[in-house]
Amino acid sequence: MTTEHPVNRRWSMRQRDWAVVLWIAFLSAAAGFFVLFGLIDPLDMVSAWADEFDIGVRLAYGLAFTFLYLVCLLAAWLTMFMIRTGPVSGHVKGEGRRSIPEIKDPTQANPDLKGEDWK
Amino acid sequence: MSQTSGSDDSLYRRDPKVYPRDVTGTFASLRKLAMVVLLGLYYIVPWINWAGHQSILFDLPARKFYIFNLTFWPQDFIFLTLMLIIAGLSLFFVTAVWGRLWCGYACPQTVWTEAFLWLERLVEGDRSKRIKLDASPWNRNKILRKSAKQFLWISFALWTGFTFVGFFTPIRELGGSIANFQTGPWETFWLLFYSFATYGNAGILREQVCKYMCPYARFQSAMFDKDTLVIAYDEKRGEPRGGRRKSIVPSEQGLGDCISCTLCVQVCPTGIDIREGLQIECIACAACIDVCDQVMDKMGYDKGLISYTTEHRIGGRETHMLRPRIFVYSFLLLALVAGVIYKVNDRVLLRADLLRDRNALYRELPDNMIENVYTLKLINMDLKPHQYRIEVVDNDDMVLFISPQPSLKPEEVGNFILRMQAPASAGRGSLKVDVRFSTMEEPIIERTVSTRFLMPFK
Repeated sequence: MTTEHPVNRRWSMRQRDWAVVLWIAFLSAAAGFFVLFGLIDPLDMVSAWADEFDIGVRLAYGLAFTFLYLVCLLAAWLTMFMIRTGPVSGHVKGEGRRSIPEIKDPTQANPDLKGEDWK
Repeated sequence: MSQTSGSDDSLYRRDPKVYPRDVTGTFASLRKLAMVVLLGLYYIVPWINWAGHQSILFDLPARKFYIFNLTFWPQDFIFLTLMLIIAGLSLFFVTAVWGRLWCGYACPQTVWTEAFLWLERLVEGDRSKRIKLDASPWNRNKILRKSAKQFLWISFALWTGFTFVGFFTPIRELGGSIANFQTGPWETFWLLFYSFATYGNAGILREQVCKYMCPYARFQSAMFDKDTLVIAYDEKRGEPRGGRRKSIVPSEQGLGDCISCTLCVQVCPTGIDIREGLQIECIACAACIDVCDQVMDKMGYDKGLISYTTEHRIGGRETHMLRPRIFVYSFLLLALVAGVIYKVNDRVLLRADLLRDRNALYRELPDNMIENVYTLKLINMDLKPHQYRIEVVDNDDMVLFISPQPSLKPEEVGNFILRMQAPASAGRGSLKVDVRFSTMEEPIIERTVSTRFLMPFK
């Protein structure tokens, strides 16, 4: 019987990203849900169209949590996406980042451009 | 010109401050025109009255949105959703055809940054003067110029914040309450918050917002294809680059048409070098096209070394304007716009919600009648007053009682108690009942609402 080295079972970066997104969204939705639970009675909120479906308290809270979770999931995923896809911030002397564009006096090597204000 | 962070120990580079040089030309004029029109609309529209109210007013306490002739209620939420979908699809469509047209000409970040830059240039001068001023020690001139700039920026930001709140509180009343120092807490908060956001985004952060904070730039690859309009440098024609006299023939010296004046970098509001290829940081403002065309003109070369082009054209292939994704976006857009226009015109200006009393399912009356009690919420969405007739549709057993008789002023919401009675022999359990509401005045506005009438189950 062979035992797999623990390093081989490490999650990939993508798996870790998604685990963080799912978990943080869940925690945020749970926090939001406690506030909602404390402040709102779903029976006071049902409008005429929902009345027809006769939504019970449990289902109303369940739907509210699902909605909150989806919103938090979107925010968490977008945050991850923005961080992962930003302009590359590489090592100052190494690779991975475009060098700062060189800027010089236009007339330095082009004497015929003298006298222009380039507006 | 390259800079690194102050400490030699740091492994990471800090980007230098961008001082965009002013530029004139076709695209600069278009950009200024877009700025004037869009900012003009933003600052002027709330001052225009229309059909007895502010032309655009999002009246949150009254839960009504006024947009010129139209009044939207919370029940019209679907229109808001559809408008957002239309806005999103329009962005897809425009991006697929013309690339980052939105970023370069119409995005609020671009438009307000342009306005703040214009104020900065007014006080501190163009690029070279601003660089010198920032590098100079604090003296009377620097203090005066920096103070004047801050005064103009803060005043402009406060006016922007005031106008923003003016879309939610009638702007004339808001102006009066500010003059008397009587603004409410939320108005004060949002005025300051939006002013601060304008000052911070357009005055301080500028290109950093586009580069690091804007999600639209990151999603572009999904909307771009090889026929999408992009701004690109013609590498084949421009390289090898190098300085020269106007009189020389570049090919004889082994040179391309780029004279390496770096003016394209100096006018770039995000501080990039377009000659390094397509970059996520490019907001397609076309300032580099304008300045490069002027340089080419001066040197006696053909214009268009930097130009609006497509990846296909750069590769020597034909560009196709009409392609499947354009057809799909156009079709969806047209269908949605047509649907919204039809539904807005077809709106019934009467809303009725019937909520059954939750305390008692039904009540047995002495004369062998069963009664259900409802709360009726009636909304007159019309701009005229109305009296309403209420009747049960196709059910002679049902009798309605309502007090007081429904009569509503323009755009008024009324709550009434509605009692419905039926003989016990009319049925068992839950009966579906259609109730019709109609105005007594011509033209008749009517709406039918279904509800449940509960009877004993045995």
